[in-house]
Amino acid sequence: MALAAIAVRRVTHRWPAKRGEPVVALQEVSCEFPAGQVTSILGPSGCGKSTLLLVIRGLLAPTQGAVAFRSRSNGSVADGPPATMATVWQGFHLFPWRTVLDNVAFGLELNGWSAERRYAAARKALQAVDLAGFEERFPRQLSGGMKQRVGLARALVLDPDVLLLDEPFGALDAQTRLVMQEQLARLVESTGKTVLLVTHSIEEAILLGDRIVVMTARPGRIAAEIEVGLARPRSLALTHTREFAELFERIYGLLRDEVAKSMLQAQEA
Amino acid sequence: MKAAWHGWAALALALVAWEIGAWLAKVPELYLPRPSVIIVSLYDLFAHGALTKDLGYTLVRIFGGFALAVVTGVTIGIWMGTSDKVRSVGDIFVAALYPLPKVTLIPLLIIWLGTGEAFQITISWLGAIFPIIVNTVLGVQECDRGLVLAARDLRASERQVRWKVMLPSAIPHIFAGFRLGLGVSIVLVVAAEMVTGRTGLGARLFLSGQVLETGQVFAILLLLALLGIALTKGQDMIDAALGRWRAD
Repeated sequence: MALAAIAVRRVTHRWPAKRGEPVVALQEVSCEFPAGQVTSILGPSGCGKSTLLLVIRGLLAPTQGAVAFRSRSNGSVADGPPATMATVWQGFHLFPWRTVLDNVAFGLELNGWSAERRYAAARKALQAVDLAGFEERFPRQLSGGMKQRVGLARALVLDPDVLLLDEPFGALDAQTRLVMQEQLARLVESTGKTVLLVTHSIEEAILLGDRIVVMTARPGRIAAEIEVGLARPRSLALTHTREFAELFERIYGLLRDEVAKSMLQAQEA
Repeated sequence: MKAAWHGWAALALALVAWEIGAWLAKVPELYLPRPSVIIVSLYDLFAHGALTKDLGYTLVRIFGGFALAVVTGVTIGIWMGTSDKVRSVGDIFVAALYPLPKVTLIPLLIIWLGTGEAFQITISWLGAIFPIIVNTVLGVQECDRGLVLAARDLRASERQVRWKVMLPSAIPHIFAGFRLGLGVSIVLVVAAEMVTGRTGLGARLFLSGQVLETGQVFAILLLLALLGIALTKGQDMIDAALGRWRAD
């Protein structure tokens, strides 16, 4: 049985507020994320992108609606068991008391792997993100870009069907971000995993995505689903092409009003 | 750490001043024996007075009760820190018992348990457990929610979240609780020994006072002070070893 797609079905989520009305983070969101593709989820801050990712991962039970995992067997597609998933977080969330190696091996440790096997796997994963030689460092001794590569290795070592990236480069400086985007594009192209990338950078969404889901300001709804259709492998040079500029303009047009709305919401809050 | 010798130098200087001052002013030994006399008394107590045995009793009582408090206090603290229901129940008892001076429990505990080791270990345990519980709860509650989320994402069970994320993240607070708790244990065990008056450093201190052996009184006080220094420095070393990921 192979994963065909993740189907989000009429998901609504309200966060309880301390005073007054609950905050509606997601409103009747329905969309599909095809397997083996990179889907960028783009929207203004506070639109519920990260909430959607938590719901899909199963770490947050939505107020209404459900997430289904469509799988393909014998030529037909039906709801199947949940896919294996792993998340890379904007805030890294590395365990500060564990070394880099022990951070990457943690998921395998939780699943009962022997020390020998999990460290061998973790070393390989660290090599894949160019961090060989940093095994015994503690997270506080690493730069932001290195921390996020540890975060990536920690997720990839579990070999998940689906990789969930929650604004993975949001906390990095602009230059580190560019390098990491290119590295991630290469990594994703080589593994063929299903990737959901939450971002508020239009460039990042186009550069990395096969498809882009554009969300509205709060309460988050789906505003548009766009096929990127640009050839791979992609590099930063792509951002200077006419196709890229046209796509950028189109998405910016969709987002402009929504961002203005979200800024107003922020002022009111 | 470079300035550590300042403390020792000041201590040595104070002892020298005491020695010379008491000698020059001809203070009677009944009131204030000189440090040299105290050290001779201490040596005599160890050599001829079987003080080693009393020191052993006291240490076993302190650390026996403290070890029980570490296990029970951390377990209860993590339980309270992770469940609102358990916390609301536990909070009431902690609020009622934590501020109560534990020496006031000595008469009751003697009625219940007698004056033997069960009593001594219980009083030591009671002294240490509350600071340990309170600090463990605090540490667990201050655990970064993002780390818990990340652990769940890596498929940690609730039990694994508790012991592999919340516990290590609360270690600095828990150790602060150990430090406070051990201090209270020492006070209570010595006080309880003074009341029951048979074995242990507290008992020897009390008996020496009654027969006006001021040199012995000071010798035992000196031993208790040295014990305090040893325990504090020992804890510092354990803290430093465990907190390697925090230090620069």
